[in-house]
Amino acid sequence: MKYLMLTYGNQEKWDAIPADTFPQEIAKQDAFNKKYAQTGELIGAYGLADAVNAKLVGRKDGMPAVTDGPYLETKEYIASLYLLDVESHERALEIAADMPWADQEPVELWPILHEAATDL
Amino acid sequence: MTVDAEMEGLLRDLAPQVLTALVRRYGQFDLCEDATQEALLAAATQWPAEGMPQNPRSWLVTVASRRLMDQIRSEHSRRLREDSILAATPQSELLGRPADAEAPADRDDSLTLLFLCCHPSLSPPSQIAMTLRAVGGLSTAQIAAAFLVPEATMAQRISRAKQSIRNGGARFAMPTAGELGERIRAVLHVLYLIFNEGYTTTDGSDLTAPQLSGEAIRLTRWLLRLLPSDAEVAGLLALMLLTDARWAARTRPDGSLIPLAEQDRALWDQTAIAEGASLVTEALKNGRVGPYQLQAAIAAVHDEAPDVEATDWPQILGLYDLLERIAPNPMVSLNRAVAVARVHGPAAALELVDSLAADGRMTNHHRLLATRAHLLEQLGDHAASAESYRAAARRATSLPERRHLAARAARLACT
Repeated sequence: MKYLMLTYGNQEKWDAIPADTFPQEIAKQDAFNKKYAQTGELIGAYGLADAVNAKLVGRKDGMPAVTDGPYLETKEYIASLYLLDVESHERALEIAADMPWADQEPVELWPILHEAATDL
Repeated sequence: MTVDAEMEGLLRDLAPQVLTALVRRYGQFDLCEDATQEALLAAATQWPAEGMPQNPRSWLVTVASRRLMDQIRSEHSRRLREDSILAATPQSELLGRPADAEAPADRDDSLTLLFLCCHPSLSPPSQIAMTLRAVGGLSTAQIAAAFLVPEATMAQRISRAKQSIRNGGARFAMPTAGELGERIRAVLHVLYLIFNEGYTTTDGSDLTAPQLSGEAIRLTRWLLRLLPSDAEVAGLLALMLLTDARWAARTRPDGSLIPLAEQDRALWDQTAIAEGASLVTEALKNGRVGPYQLQAAIAAVHDEAPDVEATDWPQILGLYDLLERIAPNPMVSLNRAVAVARVHGPAAALELVDSLAADGRMTNHHRLLATRAHLLEQLGDHAASAESYRAAARRATSLPERRHLAARAARLACT
């Protein structure tokens, strides 16, 4: 079963982390990524670029119509995403709870729909 | 330089034999597995150009043995192990077997290999990956493509599984008579999972991903040759054939689902149905009745009916009664309710479904909600039915299923 895990944040929040502990915090996340890549359950982990680089794309007269996202108005935005492929829902919950800051910031967990269905 | 289907088939058949020959001689399952994969790769590149060797199996064993030795030599820190292995290996063993010498006991060894890959200490995804690679002879890239994960992810899973086999005390030995039954059940479950994965995700358009359902059928066929008197092995093979027979009829060209009742039965594969039906009939006659045989028997009743009205529903209900008794499970009870609706009417079935919903595991299961919606529709309560279809769509775990349920809800809302 595949799952998408999301974390949210904003620059203000990250600025609040003391500079001298920042490398340790990063190392925690790296250790998490390595641990679950090794079990074969973490398919990919990506940090997203800053929200000022996010665009809202539509189509007008067959051409891309690009604006800065209204999502910038939201207090927090997506900071990173993780793709999991695990045996069970319980296992996905376990891994999400193992995220380094899950004790302070909840992690969003979304089941990904299968590409095809079982027989009716 | 391409490997034709016949050669690939031969290589895949030989893969478990070569691996077991190596493990028997040298132990060290993980290293032997790597060496076997390399030998298969060498064969796939050399044979088309240079022609097939007289005894392909010996060729592969010889090449794999050399690769194994190379591998051990190249690791400096493993010098000691190399010495002990080389010392323990008679020189003659490092040469290929004479072409006319057939290795003894390959059949049993292949079975041992399958038991090792499906060892209970491994998680189901690892069991599946190991079975497809070591027994099925598929490459890591092929397995990754079939499960829609990157090759690196699948490689990690396989290497971890091999590590568990090495560390976890799983031995390359036949299970004892006492645990044999349980270990066969574990093997059958792995094959069943492989089949299901293939049946649900393969759309036939992706040529790089092997058809997992076909692979599961091939491996189960092979297992039945090794265990011809096991009625559940026959039952599982029958179930696969009888389900796979409907493959062409189960989706529209746009990928949307067609329920069993609405499928064009002319598209069903009659050869597969005949084989599956005769397998399960024989199995039920001779062996101890088990859940795979019963599910196959139910599939056979469906497959042999010219249309949904002509289906022998009382017989299907009887088989579900039996299945519910020997392998109780809420999903079986739900399927049984569908048969009850046909035999005793939708109101009786709805009562069953509502009592099932009291089971916490099932309350919000999309299958239960969809069945409930279908029964309400038959009873003429369109508003409640549409609501139940919508609830089912929200909880569906697959995209085509969600679309199908949402379309049903929308259709009812229009009437």
